[in-house]
Amino acid sequence: MYKKKIVPGVVKTVLGAIIAGISWLVASVLIPKIKKSIVSPYQYGEDGFWIWVVLTAIFVIIGAVLLFMGIREMIQTSQYNKKVVQSGNYIKKTHEKNGAAVFFSNLGKKIAKFFAGIGKGIADIVKTFIHGDWKTKVSYVVMGFGNITRGQILRGILFLLFEIVFIVYMVLPRGGAYWLSMLPSLGKVAPNPHGAYNEVLDQWVATAGDQSFKIMLYGVLTIFFCIAFLYTWYVNIKQNKIAEEILKSGKPLKSGKDDLKSLVDDQFHKTLLALPTVGILIFTVMPIVFMILVAFTNYSSINDGMTNGLFHWVGFENFKTMFSWDVGGVNYSATFGEILLWTLIWAVFATFTNYFLGILVAMAINKKGIHLKKVWRTILIMTIAIPQFISLLYISKMFSLNGLINGFLIDLGIIEPAQAIDFLGGNNPVLARVMVIIINIWIGIPYLMLIATGILMNIPADLYESAKIDGASGWKQFSKITLPYMLFITGPYLLTSFTGNMNNFNVIYLLTGGGPTNPAASGAAGSVGYTDLLITWLFKITQNGSSADGSQYYLASVIGILVFIVVGVISLVVYSVLPSVKNEEDFQ
Amino acid sequence: MASVKLTNVKKVYDNNVVAVHDFNLDIKDKEFVVFVGPSGCGKSTTLRMVAGLEEISGGTVEIDGEVVNDLQPKDRNIAMVFQNYALYPHMTVYDNIAFSLRLKKVPEDVIYAKVTNAAEILGITQYLMRKPRALSGGQRQRVAIGRAMVRDSKVFLMDEPLSNLDAKLRNQMRAEIILLRQKLDTTFIYVTHDQTEAMTLGDRIVIMKDGYIMQVGTPMEVFEKPSNLFVAEFIGAPKMNILKTNLVKEGNRYFVTPCGAKLEVTGEKGKLLADKGVQSGEILLGARPEHILLADGPAENHIPCKLEVKEMMGSELHLHVITEDGTRWIVRVPTIDLNQEQREHLEKNDAELYITFEGKAMHFFDPETEKNLIYGE
Amino acid sequence: MKTQENTASMKRHMGLKAASRISNTIIHIILVVISVIWLIPFICIVIQSFRVQPTGMTRYLFANPDAEMNEGLAIKFGFDNYVNLWKSDFPKWYLNTFIIALVVAVVQTVIVLCMSYTLSRFRFKLRKPMMQFMLILGMFPGMLAMIILYQVLKDIGLTGTNAIPGLILVYCASSGMGYYVSKGFFDTIPKSLDEAARVDGATRAQVLFKIILPLAKPIVIYTVLTAFMGPWGDFVFAKYVSGITPSAYNVAVGLQSWLATTTMTSNYYTMFCAGGVVVAIPVVILFMCLQRYYVEGVTGGAVKG
Repeated sequence: MYKKKIVPGVVKTVLGAIIAGISWLVASVLIPKIKKSIVSPYQYGEDGFWIWVVLTAIFVIIGAVLLFMGIREMIQTSQYNKKVVQSGNYIKKTHEKNGAAVFFSNLGKKIAKFFAGIGKGIADIVKTFIHGDWKTKVSYVVMGFGNITRGQILRGILFLLFEIVFIVYMVLPRGGAYWLSMLPSLGKVAPNPHGAYNEVLDQWVATAGDQSFKIMLYGVLTIFFCIAFLYTWYVNIKQNKIAEEILKSGKPLKSGKDDLKSLVDDQFHKTLLALPTVGILIFTVMPIVFMILVAFTNYSSINDGMTNGLFHWVGFENFKTMFSWDVGGVNYSATFGEILLWTLIWAVFATFTNYFLGILVAMAINKKGIHLKKVWRTILIMTIAIPQFISLLYISKMFSLNGLINGFLIDLGIIEPAQAIDFLGGNNPVLARVMVIIINIWIGIPYLMLIATGILMNIPADLYESAKIDGASGWKQFSKITLPYMLFITGPYLLTSFTGNMNNFNVIYLLTGGGPTNPAASGAAGSVGYTDLLITWLFKITQNGSSADGSQYYLASVIGILVFIVVGVISLVVYSVLPSVKNEEDFQ
Repeated sequence: MASVKLTNVKKVYDNNVVAVHDFNLDIKDKEFVVFVGPSGCGKSTTLRMVAGLEEISGGTVEIDGEVVNDLQPKDRNIAMVFQNYALYPHMTVYDNIAFSLRLKKVPEDVIYAKVTNAAEILGITQYLMRKPRALSGGQRQRVAIGRAMVRDSKVFLMDEPLSNLDAKLRNQMRAEIILLRQKLDTTFIYVTHDQTEAMTLGDRIVIMKDGYIMQVGTPMEVFEKPSNLFVAEFIGAPKMNILKTNLVKEGNRYFVTPCGAKLEVTGEKGKLLADKGVQSGEILLGARPEHILLADGPAENHIPCKLEVKEMMGSELHLHVITEDGTRWIVRVPTIDLNQEQREHLEKNDAELYITFEGKAMHFFDPETEKNLIYGE
Repeated sequence: MKTQENTASMKRHMGLKAASRISNTIIHIILVVISVIWLIPFICIVIQSFRVQPTGMTRYLFANPDAEMNEGLAIKFGFDNYVNLWKSDFPKWYLNTFIIALVVAVVQTVIVLCMSYTLSRFRFKLRKPMMQFMLILGMFPGMLAMIILYQVLKDIGLTGTNAIPGLILVYCASSGMGYYVSKGFFDTIPKSLDEAARVDGATRAQVLFKIILPLAKPIVIYTVLTAFMGPWGDFVFAKYVSGITPSAYNVAVGLQSWLATTTMTSNYYTMFCAGGVVVAIPVVILFMCLQRYYVEGVTGGAVKG
């Protein structure tokens, strides 16, 4: 018998309390408004307002449920543990995984450990300087000096080279030092497309000025580079220390040849990871850092910091805009709430319809006595093979006002030609939303069918046999064996597919382009439609320069960060209650 | 062919679990040493540290006098046989065996000679061109051994090589490993959880529990002179009967009082107790099932008990008996010694039996420390 | 009452076989319906790709009821769309996409395999933090990063006419994030094989090339296949990077440009269909040939989570 950990319960309680608390705060802002809107509905009953009320209510409920579950689990766990300990025969579980729980309980420890590590590192540096010999001491300034003088030429040269490159980069006229110094202001002289008069050309030509975009970009890169340099400097010192100790103990040092050899052996992982990591750092991490920073500036297509003027830091101004009720006649808060709500509804439907129908189709194909199994499977798989943009674009045309579907309906006499329905773009938001979900089923079932087939074949047959002997009906077998097994195995997949659907740009953008237009939110940046997800809204903002600012990249960044927060919170909550993470042994 | 020396070897995993504490062992050249213990006792971890597959957290491992802590497995000149054989599924048996030689760039004709020679010794010549998946468990095991054989390595490591085989094949392979050992004449370290394998194969046995060495000794030593309760119970099957009772010292004579009887500790054991100066007190008394004697009827110093369960093993009979005060014993009786009358008696439900044992069959353990009162350090 | 009893007993007499025959028939019918629904768009697109008049969208596949009154509305079929396709920018787009897909397939496979092999086999200090970090990175919507990457590419001159190397660079650079499925596969290859090989004298690199890669053939093929198929469908970023240079379009951007406005649609709709068919055919053939590996990858990846 194991002692159960109390952490998951605590995590749920804390999370629940946080969610419920925040929602309650929001509600306390809303309640006076509700009261007022009852008194004078015209003034306060804006369209989006009620969505906030509903969203807040939902979150209060989620928070309360989590809180309740968490407290119950805590009590149950402690009672159970008491029993286990009393019974005296429990095994200490030394190693336990529990996703979010571990994440939370470790977070504090990790932060503490991180700072302790830095402290230790600094202490190490100082100690080494005091106790080290002159070669080591010189290495504090001239990196790799110790290595070279001790015979590790290759390492030494690499260190030295890195230092030289770093210093040269920093002191170049438009080098690291320049970018860093510009970072706080993001530039003083604005670039201007018609800044100066050129007598030879007899026209006004662009002046470069300071380019905020580049300042931010290279500033961030320089910070990365500085961190890398500091780390390398530290490694250089540590290696000097180690080399000194090894030489003192009378052993030979590793030669450059040994170093190279170890790169294909015990250090092979460094070789393998070098390229992918650099790629990810520059092409994934850097843009994300940049994006986060942009949310705190007024970077837009008008103030693009390349050719058209500067952008500068604005603090939390953009977040305020996103959460306010009235900015130049636009209720961003309501728009955001409405789109978030639809995004969540969409993600729930898109994920679960596909999931259950996919399982059903897989079970139908795999059933004993069904002929031509391969044919059915191949037909479905074809949809995966065909590039999505073709099928989605084509289907969106099929369902359009002049599309085949309308022709078909007219042929059948269901509608008159004049009554043709614009399924995806008409002024019927509910129809458009339902259609998107249905078409997404068409897209998604084949994947789920494949996945479910693989898992269904792995369900031990004796589970079914014993169920049959116990007299379980077909439905019972499905609900008591197949479904729990599937849910258990595919729990993490469900989570990723949920978050993936929240960001499912392709389906929405290619099918409806976000439409039909939502008149209530048309004033918001990027002209919002009823099927727009947060991610397509974000994209539209970057495309449509409707406001005086052009494309408001800063608002898009804010949305990006909010999407991250929503996805992150959902992932954490689901992870902490996921059966596959919680009860690893159940089905094994 | 080399000696292996482990000094204060320690293994601590990342989550601060200590798998091996302070392991010290000197393995002589050409010795066959068996690490044995229940699962999770650290025996495999120790072996893998010798192989270089597991980082050594503390202490040193020396092979042939050279500290190998920082050497990669490929540079340690060892050969290893794995529990699940670890044959390369995409290579034929020939290529599997030749793999290490090819890595060393040995000429093909030498490889051919070595591989065919090994295959002949192991009786797998006709399977050389097959892929491992077309072989039976026993054949795969032979290939795995063959792969290790051609290496001419200093140390031969085996990690539970027989535990994936069925009982019959296991006995057969055990005999073959003994033969192989005579042919190869090199240093062996063999890990198993099966005490029979340990007893039959090892020159010396290292019994481990929870990362500690419990006892190191020859098979005879660990069987006759277990240094603690754990070793006493672990070695021998069925396991030793243990019961709490009193040791009474009367002058120079010692008595034990199991289940109301009073048995004298006769012979050498009594003397040894006296030499150690053991006083009266509560002890754990051990007696192996095969050393317990049965009497036909009530007799002096015999403990009356009832038969609960009877297991017929063919050559012997395992009797599970229960005394009046509820203590359970296992008694092992050779079938051949039983006459007709006794056999009929044992057929009855709840047959009355009377058991006793001699002083030389007794083992004494401290109830607190669980150490052997005579042989424990 | 009596009839109910009768049917109940009849059911019992019919036995298991008949009951399952009925349910199987129903399932067969459902499967046929499903197949039809799934095939209809493809059948329609093929049929419409052969329509030469009118070239815009119609509500009718074969016959237009209005054609009785107006001859000009009659639907005609032929190969003109495919011929015109050949004369348009389409071959250029096709070549662009093919080059991108080919290079990306190679580079991405190498990077993904490096990444997943390392994360599956090596235990180094930064392993867990790295994986957690990538998990968190994946939660950021990539859409905005594109705008920034676009500016960066523009700054180093890899947009517009040079869009193809730019696209290749970006596709390849972040491919390390997609290590998950193949790591799951590597995890299923017993570690004792690595260990046996290392004891046998192999370096880590030799273990990878001589032992692991031959055994990982299905996942290598899966990775190549998905990497190759990715660029055929990428639309948004390709559109960004190629900007207003039609010669640098990939097929997705190019074909979409034919449907971008109502006027374009009325001229190019059937050519879009033909283009779609030409794009789909080789990909589908390739996919069908390697289907087995794809299925293995998808199911393995999902089960692993």
